[in-house]
Amino acid sequence: MVLARALSGTVFGLDGVRVEVEADIADGLPGFHIVGLGDRALQEARERVKIAINNSGFEFPGRKVTINLAPAQLPKEGSGFDLAMAAAIVNAAQDRGLPPDVAWLGELALDGAVRPIRGTLPIISHLDRLGIKRFYVPAANVAEAKIATVAPVIGVTHFRQLKAHWEYGASLDDSPPIEPATSAAPTHHVDLAEIFGQPHAKRALEVAAAGAHHLLLVGPPGAGKTLLARALPGILPPLSQREAVEVTSIASCVGMLPAGAGLLEVAPFRAPHHTISAAALVGGGLAAPRAGEITRAHRGVLFMDEITEFRRDALESLRQPLEEGRLAVARTRGHAVLPGRFILVAAANPCPCGFAGDPRRTCECTPLDRQRYRARLSGPIRDRIDLQVLVPRQPAGQLLRSTPVAESSAVVRERVLRARDRQRERRPQGPLNGALTGPQLRREPLAAAGQTLLEAAAERLQLSGRAIHRVLRVARTIADMDESSQIGEAHVAEALQYRESG
Amino acid sequence: MSPHPDPPPKGEGTIALGDPDYPARLKQIHDPPLRLYVNGRLPAEPMIAIVGSRRATPYGQRAAHRLARDLSELGVVVVSGLARGIDAAAHRGALEGGSPTVAVMATGLDRIYPPENAELAQAIAQSGAVITEAEPGTPPLPGRFPVRNRIISGLSLGVIVVEAAQRSGALITARMAAEQGRDVLCVPGSIENPLATGVHQLIKDGAKLVQTVEDVLDEFAELSRARARAQARVHARTRARTRADSGPQDPQLLAVWELLDWVEPRHHDDLAAMLNLDIKEVNRRLTLLEISGYIIGDCGAVTRAPRD
Repeated sequence: MVLARALSGTVFGLDGVRVEVEADIADGLPGFHIVGLGDRALQEARERVKIAINNSGFEFPGRKVTINLAPAQLPKEGSGFDLAMAAAIVNAAQDRGLPPDVAWLGELALDGAVRPIRGTLPIISHLDRLGIKRFYVPAANVAEAKIATVAPVIGVTHFRQLKAHWEYGASLDDSPPIEPATSAAPTHHVDLAEIFGQPHAKRALEVAAAGAHHLLLVGPPGAGKTLLARALPGILPPLSQREAVEVTSIASCVGMLPAGAGLLEVAPFRAPHHTISAAALVGGGLAAPRAGEITRAHRGVLFMDEITEFRRDALESLRQPLEEGRLAVARTRGHAVLPGRFILVAAANPCPCGFAGDPRRTCECTPLDRQRYRARLSGPIRDRIDLQVLVPRQPAGQLLRSTPVAESSAVVRERVLRARDRQRERRPQGPLNGALTGPQLRREPLAAAGQTLLEAAAERLQLSGRAIHRVLRVARTIADMDESSQIGEAHVAEALQYRESG
Repeated sequence: MSPHPDPPPKGEGTIALGDPDYPARLKQIHDPPLRLYVNGRLPAEPMIAIVGSRRATPYGQRAAHRLARDLSELGVVVVSGLARGIDAAAHRGALEGGSPTVAVMATGLDRIYPPENAELAQAIAQSGAVITEAEPGTPPLPGRFPVRNRIISGLSLGVIVVEAAQRSGALITARMAAEQGRDVLCVPGSIENPLATGVHQLIKDGAKLVQTVEDVLDEFAELSRARARAQARVHARTRARTRADSGPQDPQLLAVWELLDWVEPRHHDDLAAMLNLDIKEVNRRLTLLEISGYIIGDCGAVTRAPRD
């Protein structure tokens, strides 16, 4: 019996899973079989692996070769097992075992080059916990792998390198490091200094960042809602180590991590188009759940322009993540819980034609049209949006005028950081202000004058219980920005101006 | 159709032209309806009609609501057509004022149009009446509306028009009212508002301009009782009104209020720029103004609150 085992891994949902690749070479008709619930890409690995072995100075055995991927009941997809399969086959052919505490990840090109794979970070992180002592990964994934382990990570650029390694014990560690293909600096962010005027909307944006509140921007087309939304990631605090690992893991699993990149440190920004399906928003995939837009926006910003135009089922899929910061995805062959804690920035026109409240254009919509339009955003989702502001159309002259420079994102971000620090001091493990529940809000100290004002507002402006909670959450954040431990009258008064209209 | 149709609601019935409870004023027009289907109880008090555009501006709806409420508080029955916009605002104001109100429909009693006013129709029938000349089951047909309008004006001493474009249904009602010998009164609008053109034409043609409920009461001898009641209240009101007209006492709040308009909304950003104040301070002041009833806010744009 000629058998070799090489350890590898894959991702299920966003979690790393250990996969053992067994290669058996037996007498019989020459052939190559892969068993163990692999998808189509895996069946095609036969051709890749066979040719890559032959092009790397080895010889593919002219006997019956069988690869088994264990555990057999786990659906496996992708091309990340190529390197482990090739390693197992050539070693089995030499009747040589492979060490049990070494793992192999990588896709092979026909010439034997090792290509980067998805999900390196979560796979290595999982295998590291299982006690693996050494990792062979594609050179482009080394930086990412090193986030997850302190064990030696060896970058492999070509399968040929391993021949010398196995035959003469040559070292691989001096292979040149791969430079990141793109810098980690985000290119899509807008600095607040680039946005003229609009102090009301900018203030709401700052409050949203400081307390992690969801925000609705209402305004006619061309008022600058998108620009404002794009400015939000730039005033969010930098990701903590743990958050950065989560964000990098997700990017790695969906193949959005640039080759050679290490830890992502900037909050993600996702802006799905309103034609997106619920499945693409939530995530899916036949075999294993794959992260959708909601999960890709984890720890960052999900911008939904024209939110009333999204499909109803897509909007409803936001409910669970808005309430719990995560979402359960069930598919035929397994289910997973995916993270989804983001700040929602929604944008909408004031009415179907977009001209309500515009002094220069007449709104053609009937009250019923407007009522229907507003009703597209269901109650449970509105209830989670603490801040709502009107973004007026900017006069054309204003855009051309030379203007005093507005505050930059860096300055605003400092204030956001201080407000976040105060929240963390109060609740080291607890939620940020934007996720405070009714009972938690009642325990926040509220000045007598603030209480009186809120009661008067509830009466006069006919606020529902939920609306009062929204005002209190925002007032709590404004107090934190004001470095006040108590919610005062001025904080409540300002917060009331960001409430939902009508 | 359900197998067990609901029994007709209480108070549903018909009044024929010869019946003693047939409205006396309606009998006087040259083509009175032979039969009226009534849900509720047709009140006998003096009636005033308020009509106007279905696509009314917030200003128009506020004006209709306020006039209807004030009339209703003084015991005058407000008649309108249950349509969107001005009609609905007038009925709501009338209900708030406490007197019954009458809705004249162009459809059958079982076909409330527009459907979103079904609840309003129910509330109207509680104290007043929803009436129609149309057979049960009659759908909204374009030809029915002008015919219906003659009943609105026919029931009333006079017709108040709030916002009507040229060649609108409300103007047809005004013309019919004039033909039936009823007075036409008009609430003026902005000269920039296309919905005010029809109203302003009526004023040019001699219709009376209405600002307050007193302007309405002065026009009709039949409303002398209401006028007497109104005079008793005027003194109490004048003080409150001067207060609202001259703005808040607090100089900080007054500074904001003075920059505002009764009609055109102003955005928070403009106020911050004009006052050279931080937006959070502007927002604080706006809330205080809003809660004391001086202004109306709409998530980023504010106007002065209308006279009360």
